[in-house]
Amino acid sequence: MNEILCRDPNTVMRLARLGSMHQSRLSFMRVLTRRLAREQWRFEQTAFEIDETGQGHAVYTAHGPERSYSLIAFAHDLPPEKRSDRVIAEAWDATFTLFDGVPTADDIDRLSRNIPVQEAGRVSGSELSVSRANRSVRLWEHVVTALASGVQPDRAQIDAVGYLMRTTAVYGSGKLGAADREMIADRPEFRAPFQVEMLSVYLTRWFVMDLVQHMANCRAAATGTTAAKLDIEIARSMGIGNSTGLGMAPFLLNHPVLFNNWVAARERAIQTVRNIAEASPEDVSLFRGLVERSKITIAKWHSDHPIQIEKLAGLRSDVAKTDHYLEAHALTGMNPWDGLYRWAEDALTVEGQEWIASLMLEPYGALVDGYAEEMSADNTATFRISGAMTIGDLRGLLHEIYSWAIETDWQAPQNKARAWYVSEEKLEPRLGERFEEPIEEYEQPLAPGRDAAMLYRALAHWPDEAQVAEFLLRHPEHRHVLRRAQIVGRAPYAEIRDNTISDRVLPIDMLRCKLSFFGATQFDPRSDRWVRICMYGNAPLPFELTSENAEFWVFPNLQETAA
Amino acid sequence: MSHSLNEIEAMSKRAARGAGLSWGLAEEAAKGTRWLSSFGFPGTELLAELLNLNDRIPAIDVSPVSLRAEVWHAPARRMSPLIAGASLSDCAARLLERGKITMENVSLPLLAVPFMGGAALRLGLPVAAEWEGARLATDGKRLCVQASPEALRLRQAPTLVFSAPAEMTGQQEPLLRAEVCEDSWSQLEKFAHRTFAPATEESRLKGAGAGVSDND
Repeated sequence: MNEILCRDPNTVMRLARLGSMHQSRLSFMRVLTRRLAREQWRFEQTAFEIDETGQGHAVYTAHGPERSYSLIAFAHDLPPEKRSDRVIAEAWDATFTLFDGVPTADDIDRLSRNIPVQEAGRVSGSELSVSRANRSVRLWEHVVTALASGVQPDRAQIDAVGYLMRTTAVYGSGKLGAADREMIADRPEFRAPFQVEMLSVYLTRWFVMDLVQHMANCRAAATGTTAAKLDIEIARSMGIGNSTGLGMAPFLLNHPVLFNNWVAARERAIQTVRNIAEASPEDVSLFRGLVERSKITIAKWHSDHPIQIEKLAGLRSDVAKTDHYLEAHALTGMNPWDGLYRWAEDALTVEGQEWIASLMLEPYGALVDGYAEEMSADNTATFRISGAMTIGDLRGLLHEIYSWAIETDWQAPQNKARAWYVSEEKLEPRLGERFEEPIEEYEQPLAPGRDAAMLYRALAHWPDEAQVAEFLLRHPEHRHVLRRAQIVGRAPYAEIRDNTISDRVLPIDMLRCKLSFFGATQFDPRSDRWVRICMYGNAPLPFELTSENAEFWVFPNLQETAA
Repeated sequence: MSHSLNEIEAMSKRAARGAGLSWGLAEEAAKGTRWLSSFGFPGTELLAELLNLNDRIPAIDVSPVSLRAEVWHAPARRMSPLIAGASLSDCAARLLERGKITMENVSLPLLAVPFMGGAALRLGLPVAAEWEGARLATDGKRLCVQASPEALRLRQAPTLVFSAPAEMTGQQEPLLRAEVCEDSWSQLEKFAHRTFAPATEESRLKGAGAGVSDND
């Protein structure tokens, strides 16, 4: 039979589909935990100097085969009126940096003056990330109260929130003076994208467990009693929350090659699995088992947002349909995964299709995990414009990538109702109403469809044989999008093939896509432009990580929930 | 103060845009400034000087009139090194065909040098730039410099010649951090600031789509 090809970028790169992506084996959290376990990284708490008001610092070090990294955490006593998840906040419950190596007392002293103020501070090339987190006030208080009075917290309340703290920004790659990605990109542990950030969050989760226990111990001690020790099963069920706002959406547009490499890796993995001629009974049984475990996550997934409520209803009905399919099909025939995928394409919502596409990769780590090595990007080669390209070829390229945009009426106000801009407050990216706010002159180049259509029009009277270099000399205003078109010509999954400025655009689609590649679950949009998620929920804590539990922790255990 | 190269690139892009360059040229300015900084040159100082010189003037006035001309010259009798450089990079194939490309009256010629790195990578051959008192060659990754400090800071080169293939002698590797002079940084900040929309209470609430309190 013919080889099954990768899915068409014109299908994959639509916002509705990107906004329905699910985590997979290639997600950055799972890539990290697999490596940490495989290489037998060792973890230790080397400092915990936090007083009874919850202020002080702690250090957690991860020792790898060649290098060590330390999370330095600063805990603060934050008044409620200052607790904001927004980038424009100026104080947090806890602040962090991932340090390259083991910090000295001088390093801690220097960082204690810079990390707690986040963007107002400066760090150096020894720091790999800077981040902060706020408590989930309700759950934090519940857990401290319960433990301090000698009992375990209520499981239902834990499940309803899923985390004790949520990060509100994790800065890496050169931000605030930290080390550029280029300084560490050749280290094997950082070859896959965002491994610094993922390691930082993984250690943050451990710190948060220790901190909540410490606060309960202090409260109990004040009344002359002893607090209960948080049950490890409960501790493990909790992840780190994350509030991701609009600011992350432009990331996918600003890093086209990187974005291509993420999507291309997953698409190649899907293609590889669809081309498998026969599935072994072990592979089928693993898959069936993970479908069951995944159903627990879907059942627990809660959102109050109308868009997500509707998508969840669709996904739950997809789950029921999948059950029927799997009852009727033993997956023992030829090309069972392609058969399953093709069925999903016809029968399920986009949420359900992407759920299945990610899930069917699970039995095939040996075939697909290697694609994670190709997910980072070096932009040097693609940045340069090929000036010798002919206008005829450029026109062809624009047709291929941006036909939807060339056919769009850009005079119609609804098709360009929004504009992306950067506010002077902490350089926060925002999305405004083009026709209602004075923002157009500050517009960022985040509408490639419109810009490509304008380029296409500007080329109309240029002869096919003229060269791009000549055109750009006359029209520097098209240089940005022309570069983009050439990049997408070589990296077809680099472009979102949809309108990013229409009156209907949902920035949460872009956020969800990015966060699914991180490995997040339980997406909970809080509006059309920010979303809360959970990271590392159910993951083994660093000190209990083994090759046995590093692989499938993202799927809750069947027995565990029955208890 | 020590800065990361990503910080330099991000600041340069915003500043160049703030001074009126198109986004595409601002990206070139940013990559170029980063490249110069990584070789220990005062990239941010040169960029700030150029942005002050050409603040919000039409790009076409300081662009080459024609890429086919024997000697490239600009209508305003001074050529922007960013536009000249970007055009040179676009014309990498032509550079190899002709052996050299000569330009007249190029402002701050050192700012044009990073672009020949792009051309060198595209051609897979070293490219050289020469002007009075300076000769630099690069294969895109390493750099050879034979120049007096004055020549490197020249405000305008009467003649600037790019040639390929070039010889590499006495090579220098790029660094991963850069020292930035505070004055140039604050000048770039001033230009960059023009690209930021003033915050209003409405945009604060609506623009990011979130509330202000998260005590839940």
